[in-house]
Amino acid sequence: MSPIILNIILQSTLQTLEMVFASTAISVVIGLPLALFMITTGPGGLYHLPFAARIVGILVDALRAIPFIILLVILIPLTRFIAGTSLGTEAAIVPLSIAGIPYFARIAEVALREVDSGLIDAVKAMGGTRLTIIRSVLIPEALPSLVGSLTVTLITMVGASAMAGTIGAGGLGDLAIRYGYQRFNTTVMMDVVAVLIVMVFIIQICGNALARWLKH
Amino acid sequence: MTSPILDVRHVSHRFRGHLALDDISFAIQTGEVVGLIGRSGAGKSTLLRCLCALERPDNGQILLNGEDITTQSESHLVKVRRRIGLVFQHFNLLNSRSVAGNIALPLQIAGCSRPKQKKRVEELLDLVGLQGFDKKYPSQLSGGQKQRVGIARALAANPSLLLCDEATSALDPESTASILNLLTDINRQLGLTIVIITHEMEVVRSFARRILALDHGRLIEDGTMVDFLSDGGQKKTLQPLLADIRPKLPADLARQIVAHDSPNATIVMRVVHSGEGVLPPFFGMLAQRFNLEATLLQGGVTTIGDQPVGDMIISLHGERRDEAVTFIKNMVKSMEVLGYVPHHP
Repeated sequence: MSPIILNIILQSTLQTLEMVFASTAISVVIGLPLALFMITTGPGGLYHLPFAARIVGILVDALRAIPFIILLVILIPLTRFIAGTSLGTEAAIVPLSIAGIPYFARIAEVALREVDSGLIDAVKAMGGTRLTIIRSVLIPEALPSLVGSLTVTLITMVGASAMAGTIGAGGLGDLAIRYGYQRFNTTVMMDVVAVLIVMVFIIQICGNALARWLKH
Repeated sequence: MTSPILDVRHVSHRFRGHLALDDISFAIQTGEVVGLIGRSGAGKSTLLRCLCALERPDNGQILLNGEDITTQSESHLVKVRRRIGLVFQHFNLLNSRSVAGNIALPLQIAGCSRPKQKKRVEELLDLVGLQGFDKKYPSQLSGGQKQRVGIARALAANPSLLLCDEATSALDPESTASILNLLTDINRQLGLTIVIITHEMEVVRSFARRILALDHGRLIEDGTMVDFLSDGGQKKTLQPLLADIRPKLPADLARQIVAHDSPNATIVMRVVHSGEGVLPPFFGMLAQRFNLEATLLQGGVTTIGDQPVGDMIISLHGERRDEAVTFIKNMVKSMEVLGYVPHHP
């Protein structure tokens, strides 16, 4: 393999990693509070706001219903507004995050729902406030599962970032399409696939190890 | 008498459409150990949730240290709950925290300083016999140890009342005994009022000096174990609760027994007796005085609290049988004729 190709693959890998980690970080920062909101305002939750819970639930599901490739196109004006351009790696972080937020929110919600309601009762009975329950029970007890949600989101973002590549985001997806599809350079495409597989494996192994460590 | 620590007055509460608590009234004095017993669905859990202010009853008052907790605002209830320690059936320990972290949680909630928390955690670990376990995690402990942590946590904020919800139901007999011993010690050492809620008579019989029984949301009995055993014959609702711990008629005898008397029949009866006079040679005395055969078929004498209590099934056979029955009736706490065996068993 020529050093030029190798350099391009390395460049693209870094771009993909940037997209994946940046958009996942944004998804967690906004998605986790959303998940907490859905879990605490839903039926039997700590706060009684069924109407607000319903609205947020509908918004989250509506966003998740839109196929990512279409979301990419719909969001071009928003991307331009935020990033100043609709092309390039940084710009792709906008649609990736907007797809990632509801995705992470829903799987984090499942993780939080798994927390034993007896623990919430116990802390309530100790005189804990709702904020204490969220901080000392919900989040720490769900943490190993939340790490699992994070792993799944990261891997989903790897796939989504490749799709973003088709409309000019750069990264491994872009590389595979340009060389493999448009120039019939199968070798480069297979290299890209290998890099993606290794990337996903590493993410999964790290995620599992972290979750296991957190479980004590 | 001083004012009770817990005073429940005419409490009624509906749960999922049916009357889970129906006009419950009782008072508990400081330092008492009370067993609250009932079968599942009797309203125990609802009553517990009302007592620890997790649920507000529809009617009636619950006074904790003279303060009505049924009318307080939610924000004030947060403070009320800190005065009640709760021990759970399934321990409800946070897996994300170490033993020390779990025990410190109520202190953290109450806003104690770190050094104070640390000192109190050490005291509590000492009290429940888990020295050196502070850095372990709940997943590394046995059921009995977890419950010790649960008790330490419940005691952390110096509650004035300890409520134990089926605290031993998930434990093996050995751990159950050690947890009950621990609770007894805590009651003696700290003078803490303890209410233990359970469906097992076995748990309360040796442990609680006073027992309250719930059935279909009503309080059907309030008394000592001896009262329970004596009233068991008359009150049908009590019988299922007592079934596990009472001597049962031997199976072969149960087949032979009939309801009506006949000449020369043997009488079979259940006798409950407590206090002095249980231990003297009861059977020898009967045989001597009335010249009859007195046989112990099942049961015996156990010590409940500090006093010996006899719960026995006996049979009497002889000429002067009826005289002996009258004599026993006057001597014992309660007596119930179970039936007659036409010929000698």
